[in-house]
Amino acid sequence: MRARKLLGILILLIVCGAVLAGCIFAGLLEKSVVAKDVDQPLSPDQMKSLAQRGAYVAVAADCYACHTTTGGAPWAGGLPFKTPFGTIYSTNISSDPDNGIGNWTRADFHRAVRDGVGKGGRHLYPAMPYASYRKMTPEDVDAVYAYLMSRPPMKVANPANELTFPFNIRQGLTFWNLLNLSGDTQTKDAARSDVWNRGRYLVDALAHCGECHTPRNLTQGMIQSDYLKGAMLEGLFAPDITKDGLTRMGFTPQLLAGFMKSGLSAQGAMTNQMYEVVHFSTQYMTKDDLDAMSAYLFGLDALPKDATPPAPPKAVPVAADVASSARNTYLGLCASCHGAEGQGIPHVVVPLATNASLRLTSARNLIHTTLNGIPARRFPGLERMQPMPAFKDVLDDRQMADLANWMRATWGGEPPNVKAEDVAEIRKGH
Amino acid sequence: MTLAMRKLSLTVNGKTIDPVDVPETMMMQDFLYEYLNLTGSRMGCGQGICHACTVIVDGDDGAMREIRTCITGAHWFAGKKVRTVEGHATRDASGAITALSPVQQAFIEHFSFQCGYCTPGFVTGATVLMDELKRKPVRRADLEKTISEALDKHICRCTGYVRYFEAVRDVILKTPGLVKA
Repeated sequence: MRARKLLGILILLIVCGAVLAGCIFAGLLEKSVVAKDVDQPLSPDQMKSLAQRGAYVAVAADCYACHTTTGGAPWAGGLPFKTPFGTIYSTNISSDPDNGIGNWTRADFHRAVRDGVGKGGRHLYPAMPYASYRKMTPEDVDAVYAYLMSRPPMKVANPANELTFPFNIRQGLTFWNLLNLSGDTQTKDAARSDVWNRGRYLVDALAHCGECHTPRNLTQGMIQSDYLKGAMLEGLFAPDITKDGLTRMGFTPQLLAGFMKSGLSAQGAMTNQMYEVVHFSTQYMTKDDLDAMSAYLFGLDALPKDATPPAPPKAVPVAADVASSARNTYLGLCASCHGAEGQGIPHVVVPLATNASLRLTSARNLIHTTLNGIPARRFPGLERMQPMPAFKDVLDDRQMADLANWMRATWGGEPPNVKAEDVAEIRKGH
Repeated sequence: MTLAMRKLSLTVNGKTIDPVDVPETMMMQDFLYEYLNLTGSRMGCGQGICHACTVIVDGDDGAMREIRTCITGAHWFAGKKVRTVEGHATRDASGAITALSPVQQAFIEHFSFQCGYCTPGFVTGATVLMDELKRKPVRRADLEKTISEALDKHICRCTGYVRYFEAVRDVILKTPGLVKA
């Protein structure tokens, strides 16, 4: 009798679980943050007047960087995103009715951007940062919609995603959404200034900084308790951009705002994905907006006038043999461009003595960059940085570890804790 | 200000250079010019871009490596075997050239260069490429792509690269064992 009773309970639990899973899968537990009033289409006049502001909102949201390939048709998508589950491609969001969003209604667009559910109930993958765009105001979503609809249609077909089972089932994202989508879209804090609030809105909703700078949990959702504290991204560390992290790298609020505008600073040049962010987005943002973002990231209600950089870190001693090996390597391979004292060459090569990569807790970015190099890069205002050669064929793991330890200890004040094995791992692409 | 000096000893074009005081921040290009009077490696951009300044370093494993002397410190070459453009041709006991290297000969036959400033770098680059192909031949169908990728970093401002390219392809095809079917 007892065994039967237990079996009955077990069956009941399985049935309940299955029903619940079915409900989730059917999307019954999804909460839309899109209000009903967007079912009302915008008038042609509204579309026209909104489009201009939409261009700026789209810049601040950096839509272009992902929805256009290098040399590809504007807004036609096709940029590959390599994930652990396979490759997905950004989509055509031009006004083409067949391949783009030309026949999407205002409501379709709002639901895609803020709920992650495209036209006809088709779920988007969270490579599209709808978890962040969810916080966008309806007015800004309207503006982007009007702007995109004003762009010429691009007859470019969307490449098929290459995802493994079960990740190729879009409806499965109902589970991800249930776990990782917040119903709270509030970004306003009445106790803080307008500048701080604008900064928070830009950082969280439009610029979607957290998508890269906030670490992710097992389900690839952002861990809110580690908000903006830095995360691994394609073999590199997207740095901690909280007040502590930024100060550690040598930024002040003023310097950070300037860095987002120009892509260049004493802390180095914007590299990897942040290069594109400057190229397509932040260089075009208004001074007020960049100041607001910087003030918010530093937890301030206004941008302070003082731009004095924080005191340089105190050098940490390094073993004599490490210092000697590293200094030889540095003078042999680095000094001609970065200078014997790490001073760099203005407008050509970034300084190393003040470089952020020497001050991060992890030496990964420094090692990765030294091994793999950086291509030549143009920056706003006719600035141009020469390419950095890749040294992976010239430096062995020991030499690389010594160099990283010596530079980080001498200029960055970081403990010399890099081991040759760490370099080997990074070299392998881990 | 006095420059910190350090003893440097290395092998250049087969000759051992006895330990000599060299400023520790001196670049290899300056060492070749000022200490050895070897002026074949050209100073072009001085930033490691144009590759007119490259030399060959013969590794212990027998493989050649192309290194830019304008951005690499002289002391980095300590104990290494270096070959500059002056060291490619065959010479007799008096030092007179008796035969150019196959790459040099091919460049002359193809009228590959005009002003010649970039040529030492191209000679070095093409020689290193042939050395790589000797150890790891390419399929014939991939040869053009391989040459372009290997020499792409060398900048020439006169001839538009076509004659360099044709000369390198020619010498590779004429040399047995570099291309597989």
